[in-house]
Amino acid sequence: MAYIKDTIAAIATPSGKGGVGIVRISGPVAVRIGKEISKRETEHRVATLVSFYDDRGRTIDQGLLICFQGPHSFTGEDLIELQGHGGPVVMDLLLKRAIQLGARQAGPGEFSQRAFLNNKIDLVQAEAIADLINSSSEQAALGSMRSLQGDFSNQINSTLKKLVQLRVLVEAAADFPEDGIEAEINKDEKEKLTYLLNQLDQLLEGAKEGHAFSQGVSLVLTGKPNAGKSSLMNALCKRDVSIVTEIPGTTRDVVREDAIIEGVTFRILDTAGTRQAKNKIEAEGVKRALKEVERADIVLNLVDVSENIELEMMEELEKNKRAKEIVVYNKVDLLHKKSIPSSFQCVSVKTGDGLQKLKKRLIKELGVLSGGDSIFSARRRHITAIEQARIHILEATGFIGIENQIDLLAEELRLAQLALDSITGTFTSDDLLGEIFNNFCIGK
Amino acid sequence: MKAFDVIVVGGGHAGTEAALASARAGASTLLLTQNIETIGQMSCNPAIGGIGKSHLVKEIDALGGAIGIAADRAGIHWRILNSRKGPAVQATRAQADRALYKAAIREIVEAQAGLSIFQQSVVDLRFKGQKVDSVITDSGLRIKTKGLVLTVGTFLGGVIHVGLNKQTGGRMGDAPSNLLAQKLRDIEFGVDRLKTGTPPRIDGKTVNFGLLEEQPGESQRPTMSFLGKPEDHPRQVLCHIAHTNERTHDIIRKGLDRSPLFTGEIEGVGPRYCPSIEDKIKRFSDKNQHQIFIEPEGLGTQELYPNGISTSLPYDVQLDLVRSIKGFEAAHITRPGYAIEYDFFEPRNLYPSLQTKKIVGLFFAGQINGTTGYEEAAAQGLIAGLNAARLSQEKEPWVPKRSEAYVGVMIDDLVTMGTKEPYRMFTSRAEYRLILRQDNADRRLTPKGRELGIIDEKRWTKFCEKRDQIDEISKKIKKIFISAEDKKVNAMLNKPLGREYSLLEIMKRPEIKGMALLEAAGLKMISSSVAEQIEIDCKYEGYISRQEKEVEKNKSHSDQPIPPDFCFDSIPGLSNEAKQKLALIKPKNLGQAGRIPGMTPAAVSLLMVYLKKGDSIQNVHAD
Ligand SMILES: Cc1cc2nc3c(=O)[nH]c(=O)nc-3n(C[C@H](O)[C@H](O)[C@H](O)COP(=O)(O)OP(=O)(O)OC[C@H]3O[C@@H](n4cnc5c(N)ncnc54)[C@H](O)[C@@H]3O)c2cc1C
Ligand SMILES: Nc1nc2c(ncn2[C@@H]2O[C@H](COP(=O)(O)OP(=O)(O)OP(=O)(O)O)[C@@H](O)[C@H]2O)c(=O)[nH]1
Ligand SMILES: [Mg+2]
Repeated sequence: MAYIKDTIAAIATPSGKGGVGIVRISGPVAVRIGKEISKRETEHRVATLVSFYDDRGRTIDQGLLICFQGPHSFTGEDLIELQGHGGPVVMDLLLKRAIQLGARQAGPGEFSQRAFLNNKIDLVQAEAIADLINSSSEQAALGSMRSLQGDFSNQINSTLKKLVQLRVLVEAAADFPEDGIEAEINKDEKEKLTYLLNQLDQLLEGAKEGHAFSQGVSLVLTGKPNAGKSSLMNALCKRDVSIVTEIPGTTRDVVREDAIIEGVTFRILDTAGTRQAKNKIEAEGVKRALKEVERADIVLNLVDVSENIELEMMEELEKNKRAKEIVVYNKVDLLHKKSIPSSFQCVSVKTGDGLQKLKKRLIKELGVLSGGDSIFSARRRHITAIEQARIHILEATGFIGIENQIDLLAEELRLAQLALDSITGTFTSDDLLGEIFNNFCIGK
Repeated sequence: MKAFDVIVVGGGHAGTEAALASARAGASTLLLTQNIETIGQMSCNPAIGGIGKSHLVKEIDALGGAIGIAADRAGIHWRILNSRKGPAVQATRAQADRALYKAAIREIVEAQAGLSIFQQSVVDLRFKGQKVDSVITDSGLRIKTKGLVLTVGTFLGGVIHVGLNKQTGGRMGDAPSNLLAQKLRDIEFGVDRLKTGTPPRIDGKTVNFGLLEEQPGESQRPTMSFLGKPEDHPRQVLCHIAHTNERTHDIIRKGLDRSPLFTGEIEGVGPRYCPSIEDKIKRFSDKNQHQIFIEPEGLGTQELYPNGISTSLPYDVQLDLVRSIKGFEAAHITRPGYAIEYDFFEPRNLYPSLQTKKIVGLFFAGQINGTTGYEEAAAQGLIAGLNAARLSQEKEPWVPKRSEAYVGVMIDDLVTMGTKEPYRMFTSRAEYRLILRQDNADRRLTPKGRELGIIDEKRWTKFCEKRDQIDEISKKIKKIFISAEDKKVNAMLNKPLGREYSLLEIMKRPEIKGMALLEAAGLKMISSSVAEQIEIDCKYEGYISRQEKEVEKNKSHSDQPIPPDFCFDSIPGLSNEAKQKLALIKPKNLGQAGRIPGMTPAAVSLLMVYLKKGDSIQNVHAD
């Protein structure tokens, strides 16, 4: 039975620098995508050394292209593998190109699911696939949550609110023409749409630039004075970039430096952390630190264990932390007798103890190694959604003030919302009606 | 009494369509109703159609139902709503003369072959195991049947409120069906209470129409039925518009302490889109006036229906508030407004065929499923009656999909999501709105109806004529070219042609009216509706095909059936909440499962994997 008609793509093994990364594409148009991305014919089961090109014909990367024709492939469908050398950023560009060419970003566990549905994996493995779907959708949710922290999330929500307001007007005018709503709709939809377009543009800009894609993953260090933030920064960068002294309140301005950890580029930011500011300079430092924490992909919150910290306090910290936060207990070399349970992330920057474990944790946190939905793919998903929404809003602008086409205007707005829904959760027609009834006195 | 294939209980809008559809489908059918005189009675607003609702009417009509034809014979004031907003949201509404409407329905029901009417109140139902067996009437008769359709409207446990007075009743003037209500409560179909209301009626000769704004009907009158003609319409009359004012609102505020809505007397949930006037005043206190449409109840009566002041305030407050309205200073109330609370059954206990999951052969349709409105009731009636007949003939049920009809959207919403307030149709509920238009209901559904055996020769012939002509002209317009100098065509355009274009290309321009262009090109048509279809097909081509693609894309996945006895418990990794919902709703296919509120894409993926697993195991057994 043919269950599926569309083509999916995903980063199968995002690599760090130096390693090999794979983008997989499976489905009816996979072969065509392979051809277009490499500008070469493909042959079954032959690996060809090719260049991968973007939409403007510029080279994204060089690598191997392997084509497996269905049913002789992992998924049982036509399947293409693009093996590149680039890091996550390049992998993302390849994925993006595949999406442009007609693929859809795969959902959690979807490749294995297809393999199963096409009889490529036997029955006994159904359970295993169920587990995979479950665990990777949890990861996807996490990745998505991280991607949605801070500014990005606020902006998406405010954009969505504007869009809903507009839809409420348009749909109310269509469904309740006798309730005097019409007068309100023609006034300034055009401005509202232009505003929406600008917001979406800003979102795209922000999502593309400020984050993981071009500049690596941002890792912000925070915590109380003297916790060892600057020491950790230097250790991770393997260079003396931030001043370390035993005086609390040493770091004031934000110090930035790139570091490669397990092959992944991190942009590390050392900050003043959290403290009771004693003067203007310190206050400004704390303010800057907070801002960076908001924007960060991952936050390391350092805690000095030599300051008599109780187990309960630690549990409290773990409970209240942000999704993207890791609490790091530093200076374990100063602990004599009582040891800390291994579930807590402990280090001694001084002795180097636990540093390796911390690095592993960082990579795991990104979801990069497990091939699941990482912060990268979450962000890619979001960008695709915003781009789609933008196209529909642009279309919608064309219908403003044109007689006889409110239904088309409404359709474009609905599709725009549908696209954004994939980021923020579904907004049903019942939700929409609810908004209409709250805003207008409906009913004869 | 002899046995019937199908018995329909209730002669309202759901009941009459159910009985008609069942008989058309070839089942021997009995319509049992409390009172033959109230067959086709409009309990409330004397109007048929409106936004979303005329879509339903035209779909019922396209499947051979009665509501559209009756509306054409009774419509005394016609409106085209949203005439300048695009075909997908355009709608038709007729003010109906109550008496004419009732007479038309009665005539159609009486004329239907294979359908008998019997005036009896049903007091009990008998089952054999989990299967329908017979009904017991108030005169002690027992009648056997294979399919039983219940359409008893607001009559189950009906309680009528006027101020703090309350009395039992199915609607004003009719007894409630309490014995039946008790019986159904005992079977545990998941009963809850809803509420609806109606305004006071007013004696027209006590109203000063000179002070009201006139609202004439359309001069180019539309029809509801595919078979209807404007010539079928009776004499046309005017409607009027009046407004409440601050004094009206003060009177209402002062009466709120005796409003059963706010004293807690009424527990049922009312519709948010059809609030009582006291509710409007309370919730939108900043509005200093509300619009009231003054609609005639019929040609042979002076009674008026003031649409917009539905209320359950005490009579004295009703009278004061009516008289505070300009033009109504000396008005006389002929019947007070009231609210009614009634039982409805959790529609998620139904299959899409509208058969109950508990009892084989028992179908529910209309207001008892939590909907409101004649059109909503009639549409469910048709589906339930048809499927009861098909069950008696051992055929598979048929229900239109969400992409095929508003009827499909409504039923899927009800059985998948349930409802917390009286459910009414709106165009925004339909995600495939651009392809589900009132103008193409016949093209969407009549061929299917013919296949199901519920379309008669007359309609079918007329339909084929129209369909063939649309096909023929659609081909022609690609081949007929208009020269750049064509005066007639250029006169219709904002920008002159400039070069030769095909008719098809010209048709796409927004300013072009299909009929005028085709006529200018010398093409003859049987009706303007052919030109309308061609125009819409051309102008919306891109959009329509996009929606059709979407339908197609989702098809392979969402049409995948889920066996009725599928055990959701066996799926590890599904949350308990998801399992419970799936077990309650028993979705027919993956698409429906995915629409259950709270079902995540991952849960649907899991389901897909386990369906396949179950499949393979069954195959192994078969080998
Ligand atoms: C006060 C009031 C206000 C309303 N307001 C609105 C409104 O504002 N807007 C709107 O859209 N709709 C409104 N409605 C709803 C509209 O009238 C209904 O939705 C529609 O009539 C439902 O159709 P039905 O066929 O389900 O039930 P009904 O039209 O109620 O028909 C039920 C039929 O069943 C028969 N019956 C009942 N019990 C038995 C029995 N035991 N044995 C045999 N026959 C039985 C009755 O005699 C009747 O013929 C209102 C209804 C009422 C009563
Ligand atoms: N024993 C021990 N001392 C440490 C460790 N890490 C840092 N220190 C010391 O703790 C002191 C503070 O270190 P910093 O790295 O400057 O701390 P900070 O959090 O950046 O402090 P501020 O910038 O002042 O907020 C220094 O004297 C470090 O040498 C550790 O793991 N063990
Ligand atoms: Mg420091």
